[in-house]
Amino acid sequence: MLSIRFHGRGGQGAKTASRIVGTAAFLEGYHAQDSPVYGAERRGAPVAAFTRIDHSPIHERGVIARPDLVVIADASLIRDPAARVADGVDERTVVFVNSSLSPDQVSVQAALPGRLTALDLTGIALREFGKRGAISALLGAVAGRLSGLHRDSIRDAVARELADLGLSSAVIERNQAVALDCFDQVPVVSVEPGGPRPAPPVQLHRPTYDAPTKGTASITVGPNSGLRSMSGWRTFRPVLRPDLCNGCWLCFANCPEGAITIKPDGKPAVYYPHCKGCLDCVEVCPTDAMTVEREPQGVQP
Amino acid sequence: MTWEPQIFKTLHQIPREEHVFPGTPLCAGCGGLESLRLAAKVLGSRVVYVDAAGCMTNLAAFPFTPLDASWLYTTMGSAPAGAQGVRDALDVLIAKGRVPKEEDVQVVVLGGDGSTYDMALSSTSGAITRQLDFYYFCYDNEAYGNTGVQLSPATPYGARTTTSPCAVQHPAGTTQEKKDIFEIWRAHRPPYMATVSPRFPLDLEEKFARAAAYKGPKLFLAFAACPTGWLFDPAQTPDVARLAVECGLWPLKEAVNGVVVHTYWPKLTPVEEYLKLQGRFRHLFEPVVQTEAIAHIQERVHGYWARVKREEGNS
Repeated sequence: MLSIRFHGRGGQGAKTASRIVGTAAFLEGYHAQDSPVYGAERRGAPVAAFTRIDHSPIHERGVIARPDLVVIADASLIRDPAARVADGVDERTVVFVNSSLSPDQVSVQAALPGRLTALDLTGIALREFGKRGAISALLGAVAGRLSGLHRDSIRDAVARELADLGLSSAVIERNQAVALDCFDQVPVVSVEPGGPRPAPPVQLHRPTYDAPTKGTASITVGPNSGLRSMSGWRTFRPVLRPDLCNGCWLCFANCPEGAITIKPDGKPAVYYPHCKGCLDCVEVCPTDAMTVEREPQGVQP
Repeated sequence: MTWEPQIFKTLHQIPREEHVFPGTPLCAGCGGLESLRLAAKVLGSRVVYVDAAGCMTNLAAFPFTPLDASWLYTTMGSAPAGAQGVRDALDVLIAKGRVPKEEDVQVVVLGGDGSTYDMALSSTSGAITRQLDFYYFCYDNEAYGNTGVQLSPATPYGARTTTSPCAVQHPAGTTQEKKDIFEIWRAHRPPYMATVSPRFPLDLEEKFARAAAYKGPKLFLAFAACPTGWLFDPAQTPDVARLAVECGLWPLKEAVNGVVVHTYWPKLTPVEEYLKLQGRFRHLFEPVVQTEAIAHIQERVHGYWARVKREEGNS
């Protein structure tokens, strides 16, 4: 059995990618199973999805603890402890990272034990589609290639899954073309499907508690959510060009997070640890003083 | 008679002080959170939020809270009953002298459209009938969003949800019309009611400031543009919220003691502009344009505003 685990941020398309691979495998006559898992948090928060492929019926259920292939849709997830991308990854696991860095650079920076490969899917999507958006078809195609699935079945699976999302045929065709480009471009590292492997030994951890100032053991705590960093939710960030800002405060009024404050001089400032990267401020800015920049690609903080 | 803001006339009057702090786990680009943040700037911190289960429940996920106010979590159907309990307890404690009068707080129910339009309707009706002194803040994202975007009575005709998909039998998706909760509330004659949109922050702040003068049930229906459920890029939340108003689909209005006044006269932009932005309406345009369904939505908008013009004599 081949076990594939996808990690992404809500809205990036990890779930649909896992469906594309599952459907492609199904079209080739395999048994396939796919399922996503995410908590109450969504857009921007870490999500995971699982695909299992086998010649015979699959009886295993639930999360994949020991994946053969890990597909990471956003390099920032590697250092996000909530995403747990390294769980069950050992030296024979193949790890794909969506990154503008080369596999070797990623390998050095990520310090994951698996065999790494990388391709800049976000860069390709920006270039080919001209806008930010989900990269599910691209992730699915890459995962399909690494899993040894055929080009044609990936093409069909992309069409089926994106049609289910209600996308137009023109958009689907464009996605198919770009996905197949990624299928051809990704540096292949052969995945060795393993049989069922013993689960890693259960380790009991001594629980650690946050300091009471962080809010535990008190129900009368003041607003403390600002202690959480939202930086990891962004794949793009707003950047203010102060010379163009007319001080209208529209960005301040329209920031859902309250991550934009007004400085004493009356001009806004984005506080990045609290910014989720929704870019509403960019949209409302009347003078185009708020610009969009892609988040830096290094996997180190 | 044109409605004029009395207090909030420029954006620079919006208080800089925050009462809903950053770091919540709500979706990036949440229109409901933006409305609540703006509302809280006027409501202040002397508030007990009585939360009906829904997206906003994620706000105060232990051990973190973004609020400098108090918080009580209730089931979807019972937030107004919870508010009654809090209000009564405060009244009794103040009457007995066990809580100083100046420590009194406002009671604010937070509910999504699932609870407001549907599950909490009977307890809401009871609370209004008893003239409970409370705010009801509804973040209306037109679906049961937190559970995965299922049909709610607030879902408009033509929208696609996971339980009202575009199907052979129902090519338009949702076949019901959005329930008019504003009129259901108005039939109870509460002292103050208003609809607000986060893209019209001054209108929103003004209404919260005005409502403070009224004792009794006060309704706020906030347009909660929902990138996750409505399938658009989070950066487009402001556009979707603006077009909902400009196309006439989300009228901005208030009702003081049951007398309705529209606070903004939209341009009545064709509804296609609004529908096209969102994936939940994409099936109305592709693969074939569902002309009848779009015309139906447009007709209802025109019918609504024709009636408003007759009744309010404005243009």
